[in-house]
Amino acid sequence: MTHKGLSLKTWIIIIGVIEIAVVILSGGLNKTLQVGFEDGTFAIRNVADKYSIQEAITEEFQPDLYLTENGEEGTIYGSTALYDFFHRIFGGSTLSAFSLIRMLIIVNLAILLIAFSVKKYLFDRPSKPQILMEGVYEFFDGLVIDSLGKERRSYTPYVVTIFLFIWVCNMIGMIPIPGFMEPTRNLNVPLGMGIMCITVVHITAIRTKGLWRHLEPFINPIKNPMCVLDAVGEISKVVSISFRLFGNILGGAIIVLVISSLVKFILFPVGLNLFFGLFVGTIQAFVFTMLALSYISVAITEE
Amino acid sequence: MEMTIAQGIAKAAALLGAGVCMGIGALGPGLGEGFVAGKACEGIARSPENANLITRTMLVGQAVSESTGIYSLVIALLLVFAVKV
Repeated sequence: MTHKGLSLKTWIIIIGVIEIAVVILSGGLNKTLQVGFEDGTFAIRNVADKYSIQEAITEEFQPDLYLTENGEEGTIYGSTALYDFFHRIFGGSTLSAFSLIRMLIIVNLAILLIAFSVKKYLFDRPSKPQILMEGVYEFFDGLVIDSLGKERRSYTPYVVTIFLFIWVCNMIGMIPIPGFMEPTRNLNVPLGMGIMCITVVHITAIRTKGLWRHLEPFINPIKNPMCVLDAVGEISKVVSISFRLFGNILGGAIIVLVISSLVKFILFPVGLNLFFGLFVGTIQAFVFTMLALSYISVAITEE
Repeated sequence: MEMTIAQGIAKAAALLGAGVCMGIGALGPGLGEGFVAGKACEGIARSPENANLITRTMLVGQAVSESTGIYSLVIALLLVFAVKV
């Protein structure tokens, strides 16, 4: 197939040169370009930035603090009545709580969509999503058999659910819709999942070894001189597993926001999102899952 | 924004603390992850058929040893954004 005029390669090179020029220019100017009609004439002019980077970060990550600092009226979907209604429920953190719950509902809908799209053709010719999901399930099934043994394969759905939930949570921040954020960016979500994981670990250990045999090393100083340290270590497991996820996602989001506003949201955020969204998000979801699994496998082994 | 001298000193100390925290806190994880990656390279060179298992274990180990760096990142973010003077 022959093209008239410029080939695709030339177009890509031209667009790349323009992009790089705009990146260099806009980085130095600290201004944004405004194109439109004003006072009856068509104008292209530079306008000074409305926000500094610090204000942008505060608005993105602590919206309620931003409201109280600037003395603005809070709105949800442009409506003050809706804000007042939610303000009565959530109190001082209305906006962050509302956006967190909205994002969690969207994540749950996405997971339901995955489940139904896979389940529909369960006994039919396998579709592409089904092959993908079966691959993921088989992978984690192998991990569970490796670390917990074949008689505990019933833990595979739990492990796959943790992985899918955190993975969808981390991926959903890359969708370029205003207001979309990773729910794992809020400390409450990783902390809740960490507490749930440790609860499952202890329930599994009690069901395997019996209540007293599991609890004795934590409360009997004659049998285990380090009992207090072990008990504190169980709490620090929750802190370490949840702060790892939270810090990685929050740090990545802040770096993406800062560098994006330095280069005026052109070209760079794609590469940044590839690393901090796709790579770090997948690795952290996998690490959270592996740690939840290995805590169980450590707790059920007999000394 | 008007600041008294005491507020300025507190703000400067918080920012300086954030920089020092991130700088020193990044040393340990950097060293540790480098060691892990080097050993994984040795392991893959010795037995290339286990490359998948070694890479998986390497990533988990690196993410675990990264957690102290992440703690210092959280502390630095707290110092920069949460300390109001």
